[in-house]
Amino acid sequence: MFNYILQLLVDTSFSWARMFIALGLSILLGLGIGIWAATSRRAEKVIIPIVDILQTLPILAFFPFVIYIIVATIPGYIGINAAVIFLIITSMLWNIIFGVYESVKELPHEFIELTAIYGMGIKEKLSKIYIPASMPKVMSQSTLSWAIGLFYLVTSEIFSTSSKTYMVKHGIGVALTQLALSGNFSEYLVGILIFIIFVILTRLLFFAPLERYFNKHNMSSIQKTHTTHFVHLIKSRLKLKVPKIKIPIKFALGKKHDTYSLSNEVVMRPKKRGYANLVYALLAILFVAIIVSNKTLFSYELSILVSFIASFARVWFAFAIILLISVPLSVYLIFFSKKLSAYILLFQIIASIPATIMLPLIVSFFVKMPFHSEAVALSVYLLSGIWYVIFSMLSQKAYIPQSIYEVKRLFGIKGLQAWKKIYIYAILPGLITGAVTGIAAEWNASIVAEYFTSTGIGNGAVLTSVSIGIGKLLDLSLDNGNMVLMLLALLNFTIMIVIINRLVWKRLFNRIEDIYK
Amino acid sequence: MFCLGLLDVKNISYSIGPVHVIEDITFTAMKNEFVSIIGPSGCGKSTLLRIIAGLIKPLHGEVLYNGMRVEKPNKDISFVFQDFALLPWLTNIENVKLGLSLFDISDEEKERRAKLLFKKIGLEGFEKAYPNMLSGGMKQRVGLARAIISNPKVLLMDEPFSSLDELTAEALRTDVINMLRSPDMPVSLVIMVTHNVEEAVELSNKVVILSERPSHVKEIKRIGLKYPRNKRSKDFMKEVDHIYKVLTE
Repeated sequence: MFNYILQLLVDTSFSWARMFIALGLSILLGLGIGIWAATSRRAEKVIIPIVDILQTLPILAFFPFVIYIIVATIPGYIGINAAVIFLIITSMLWNIIFGVYESVKELPHEFIELTAIYGMGIKEKLSKIYIPASMPKVMSQSTLSWAIGLFYLVTSEIFSTSSKTYMVKHGIGVALTQLALSGNFSEYLVGILIFIIFVILTRLLFFAPLERYFNKHNMSSIQKTHTTHFVHLIKSRLKLKVPKIKIPIKFALGKKHDTYSLSNEVVMRPKKRGYANLVYALLAILFVAIIVSNKTLFSYELSILVSFIASFARVWFAFAIILLISVPLSVYLIFFSKKLSAYILLFQIIASIPATIMLPLIVSFFVKMPFHSEAVALSVYLLSGIWYVIFSMLSQKAYIPQSIYEVKRLFGIKGLQAWKKIYIYAILPGLITGAVTGIAAEWNASIVAEYFTSTGIGNGAVLTSVSIGIGKLLDLSLDNGNMVLMLLALLNFTIMIVIINRLVWKRLFNRIEDIYK
Repeated sequence: MFCLGLLDVKNISYSIGPVHVIEDITFTAMKNEFVSIIGPSGCGKSTLLRIIAGLIKPLHGEVLYNGMRVEKPNKDISFVFQDFALLPWLTNIENVKLGLSLFDISDEEKERRAKLLFKKIGLEGFEKAYPNMLSGGMKQRVGLARAIISNPKVLLMDEPFSSLDELTAEALRTDVINMLRSPDMPVSLVIMVTHNVEEAVELSNKVVILSERPSHVKEIKRIGLKYPRNKRSKDFMKEVDHIYKVLTE
């Protein structure tokens, strides 16, 4: 009894050490890349769209695979640990980059002028302005990164290809997967309990004091707390995704000034736009031509498209459920609860308990039911996306001026009217940002949600598998080492991300920018 | 219980954590009065106004309106905010109609009343625009319209002119005083918080002068000058000087 608890403690400590190393490196990289993107126009145009796509791709299914093979073949445990840490970084890094980027972008112009007036060098700019200004957001993003990192820890510590299984010697991810698989249920539960205790201790002893430390300068004194500003920032981020081309969008509810501002853009660069559209059209034709001309590619593409449709339905259905839960919850917490910060702490802890370690539990819960693989997939999608939406909406609280609460009370705005006139609009920017990142996280989890084996992803014993889906397709191509299929899926993924960003999110942001400006 | 005024503020105290903000403030406001509350910044003037509005519960003491204790916002008492507090996502007319939320009136009737008010405050044509398309002075007019659309008896104003530039503020002050003195005006008592001495003398017939934190009443000054008041007259200057003296001593 005592022995295996000790063993689990050692395993968890090793995993945590990997997590801390990965987080440290992610913060360093995030600061570097984020500040670079925010201060150089040229870098911004390249970095931001790439990071945005990497954030949505189930990155674990792609290039880490290659690197894993390379690094893990380094003899001893150095190689495999380096590979695991690298994989965790690929899940932690992106939102930290955005946090840094947004912090630096939000800095008042006076601060930049200050650096010029006092002739600050790059070192001083970094240490006196950019880094301190970024740290509060780095800390809040780190909390999120930690949760995502734990989610992928389980699938990173043990990894198999068609020929070989790689795993770390000590790791809670390996331990839990093996315990669950061997049917050792009581030990598995003890493992989860230890995991949760580690999560709580990390929150209270590591993140909470650091957040307090970095927030003591109270950035609110320099940051504009207007929703308008917030919306503008998010939109400028979305705008950057596909640089240089703009398709005039007519809104169903468009007003005169919409078309005015859009036509203005069009008038300014008609040639460039036409040129870019031509390039895109040519690329599309080329893509279709290559696919159609090759039988294998054509059959791959067909199965990828069908898989996408199935996964798309799952991801958005899960998102609909997320909305049904998170919107009323956030409205309650923002407008009625007096214990918001206590709830946030509680949610941060719950959010850090990854769906991946619960998966054996979830599977055994659903296993007797019809469509159990669908139920498992939906649960994993839901759990991986919901916290982004909730946290993003709750963060809107900072942008709601006190007087709005007073207006609500003074004029007795209640019930349906309050929903229609206050709640929805007050949380809407947070809702949309949360939706963008939450749905990205759902896609990210597709390789776990749709196909989960005893070795996480990879070709272990299959624990749960949907009949068709892009996550499953990626997992299978990973098993068989089918790089062509994998790359083609990657291409499709990227195209889908760009299309959704343009057709859904950008339009929504245009609409709400109109309302909040 | 016997009470004198339309609104009685009795022995109000308030603290935020260990900090005593307001200590035992008492004054009475009568019908047809314009009362200014003036004091140094941070003395809790705005908090006091929110206690009167029923938005904040005092630590001790009570506020009586027509002899009834005010414990939550009341249909008869309305409020104008320093930062206007217009909902940026609603059109101006929708913002004004919010002032009638507590009333069981059809939407057409609300619309009709709001349109009338837009005419009265000189913003005809801006009904369907959004607040952020307006200048500060126009926004505060919308804020004022929202506050009076429900025909309140008491109007509370929290530094209503301090977010505006001086010229705009002056014009709006003149309009406000004319509007409040017009015979069809239901408002019979205004209580305004300000840190501007001249503004207090220009508008009010009673000035409650507060001390620094923890604030208490230093003096309640009556101002008997006739409206409209000439800011350059000797009598006006005398009142201003007196209040400055009390504030700084």
